[in-house]
Amino acid sequence: MDRRHFLKQSTLASSLFFVPNFVKAFENIAPSSLGYKRLVMIQLSGGNDGLNTIIPFNNDIYYRNRPSISISKNDVLKASDELGFHKSLLPLKKLFDDGHLTIINNVGYPNPNRSHFRATDIWQTASDSNQYLQTGWIGRYLDHFGTKPYNAIEIDDSLSLALKGQQINGIAAKNPQILYRTSQDPYFKNVLKYYEDEHLSEHNLGYLYKTMIAAESSAKYIFEKHKGSETSQDYPNNEFAKQLRTTSRLIKSGIETKVFYASLGGFDTHAGQLNSQSRLLKVYAEGIEAFIKDLKQQGTFKDTLIVTFSEFGRRVKQNAANGTDHGAASNVFVIGDQLKTAGFYNDLASLRDLDSNGDLKYTIDFRSIYATILNTWLAAEDHTILNKTFPKLNFI
Amino acid sequence: MSFFYTSIKPNISFLVLLHMTQQDIQHLYWRAGFGLTPKQYALKTQDNRDTIIDGLFKASEITTMLDIDTSDFEELLTPALAKDAAKRKLIRQISTKKLKTYNRLWLNRLETSNQILREKMTLFWANHFVCRDNNILFVKTFNNTLRAHALGNFGDFVKAISKEAAMLKYLNNKQNRKLKPNENFARELMELFMLGEGHYTERDIKESARAFTGYNHTVKGQFVLRKRQHDYGIKTFFRNTGRFSGDDIIDIILQQKQCARFICQSIYKYFVNETINTERLEELATVFFKDYNIENLMRHLFMSDWFYSEENIGVKIKSPIELLIGIGKTVPIKFNDEKDQLKIQKLLGQILLNPPNVAGWKGGKNWIDSNTLMLRLKLPSILLANAHISIKEKGEFEDSFDIYNYRKRPSRFANVSVDWNNFEEQFSGYSSQELKTFLMASKLNKGTENYLETLNKSSHMELCVQLMSLPEYQMC
Repeated sequence: MDRRHFLKQSTLASSLFFVPNFVKAFENIAPSSLGYKRLVMIQLSGGNDGLNTIIPFNNDIYYRNRPSISISKNDVLKASDELGFHKSLLPLKKLFDDGHLTIINNVGYPNPNRSHFRATDIWQTASDSNQYLQTGWIGRYLDHFGTKPYNAIEIDDSLSLALKGQQINGIAAKNPQILYRTSQDPYFKNVLKYYEDEHLSEHNLGYLYKTMIAAESSAKYIFEKHKGSETSQDYPNNEFAKQLRTTSRLIKSGIETKVFYASLGGFDTHAGQLNSQSRLLKVYAEGIEAFIKDLKQQGTFKDTLIVTFSEFGRRVKQNAANGTDHGAASNVFVIGDQLKTAGFYNDLASLRDLDSNGDLKYTIDFRSIYATILNTWLAAEDHTILNKTFPKLNFI
Repeated sequence: MSFFYTSIKPNISFLVLLHMTQQDIQHLYWRAGFGLTPKQYALKTQDNRDTIIDGLFKASEITTMLDIDTSDFEELLTPALAKDAAKRKLIRQISTKKLKTYNRLWLNRLETSNQILREKMTLFWANHFVCRDNNILFVKTFNNTLRAHALGNFGDFVKAISKEAAMLKYLNNKQNRKLKPNENFARELMELFMLGEGHYTERDIKESARAFTGYNHTVKGQFVLRKRQHDYGIKTFFRNTGRFSGDDIIDIILQQKQCARFICQSIYKYFVNETINTERLEELATVFFKDYNIENLMRHLFMSDWFYSEENIGVKIKSPIELLIGIGKTVPIKFNDEKDQLKIQKLLGQILLNPPNVAGWKGGKNWIDSNTLMLRLKLPSILLANAHISIKEKGEFEDSFDIYNYRKRPSRFANVSVDWNNFEEQFSGYSSQELKTFLMASKLNKGTENYLETLNKSSHMELCVQLMSLPEYQMC
């Protein structure tokens, strides 16, 4: 410990004796109101068709390539001279108008992979397309800056690779109550009570006991936080909205969670795309609308950043089954109260200059978005977590 | 224990004297298989190590393919398919359904087969030659190629794998053409299948990729070499120059001891210990390098004294499949709904036929996070006792109604039929202590053992669930 650091610590320690009561009162206030920044990641699984989400309604190439599944100009909620929202996304359009939404176009990475599993891994691990990482980018964030599994929570039954680190994993908590009940089996509690920690820590068995202890306390902590925090906001009645409602309750509770991970599946629209995508975008938009209202009411919106991505976009040219096949680059939505560049962050890439598969070429590496979030929003060293330096963007 | 077996090369005249303790036998069967039943164990107590291991290999001499009827599916596979989207959709639907059934058949095979070692090796190789596909016919053929070569010659094995339709698709080798090479397969061949990272150059990848050009398969999955797309030119690969074919490339790689070492490293991690002992590894690599005979390698491993040393026993974290099959071996479980089996595999993080990526499941501590561990600990009670683990202490009134419930109460989590009668019959002569020794590969934590002592021991069923619900049961 260097001298300056020591001095700082000792002043801190001695000043604790004189903590005035009004400061103590702060202890009961949720960290959120003291500027506790959180990230909510949302994955639209299956590969959302970005071109029918944010529509280039003045582009002939778009209409020529999609004779039966394009969105006609009249149905588009226009946001600029070139681009507009799918009509299911009216709530997003409102956020856009209020300056709470940044749309980053053509996000991808070199040599894009078109398999759901592989592309999801690439997005979740922040790897190159020919690199296989066994830890997720949020997991590595936990390795460096987390101490407890609940520092990153996935609202699901099982944990994605994104939240798995080398030293520490996040925790999946779809239903905090069920998670808690599982962890509180009296038998397990007794086993842990009697367990003796003798030279076990470095072995696999010791690791199991340690994980068991962490799981028990995390489940309890999450359950108690969740239980003590109700919300009066109405949410639509579907699984996705439930995930957001759980997230909102946890945020309101002041839980020490930096990252929440949620997802909405079904976007793999190889056939009959128009109806299914329209329905899914509606689920997404209505869920988000309720969630943002709720956060605003709680006063936590300004400290919450919501990022929505999909593992890939879809082919520009439609297929024979009135659907689209797996594509490459697509758009990312960033929702927040403190956006630097609200609106469209960049232009849509040319539909004339596609890659050899007929897919959009990326112009922004998704890891630049991660790097920006890690660095600017989570105040973490992005290059240690991403193992590389990526140029930062200017959206937050 | 073994006093005479010291030479590296098995010497038949010494082997007769090698006795196996109960711990040795259980250890062998946990690693070479999925544990064993009391009946199976009873048959071996008088045997020597060589007899037991001979028996293990003898039982696996034949290969019983894992079959599923795909005849109706195959009828749909015609060259006209390329133009018929509706038919392709139908095929996908049939295939998806049959793949689920095939998953169940494979699980069942692992639990019931007498070809214990062949099946364990098949599972091992499925995580070495990692592949996934949505065509049930290709998947079945691939799976049985793993099974057929599981204990054979490694070189022949790799060559067969390189020509499998599922693999040609998975690593894009069918898109590998003379004028437009695709390096994916060549890269993984060296990185994941034969040498490991850092033992080849980018140039080696480029040159070898040329040798695999023109590889393709018929609509029914038969291998074909499309001659017009094959590059017959001269290639320079690992200091060899010639008009190499794909098989030649594999032969050239086999000439490097690193290949034997790389395979033995995976074998050691999977069958012995995740922490590599470099001396043992070199010993195995030397044996394997001689002829790349997988059976000889495994025989050497199981015959070695060090395989049975304390540091290697009960130190591995069971894979989800090992856990699930192990429970079923002790207490037979029948899943009445195949969806439940898939659900459990998914939640535990290992779905057969569905590896996460080309690198496969990483294993060890990677199986474990808060959620998977909680489910793992809860799984025995969920499957066997409607999630109830008894904590009745010694001397507490024993309730025959509880026992009745153990047998009758259906689980809400999964629709299963549990054969407790089989369990009771098998363990009828066992004391509580013996049951504990039989089920647990790992030494119990002292505190945990003391706690267990305080509990009521009157019912083997309850004790079985208690034991299986301990972190120690996660080890093998």
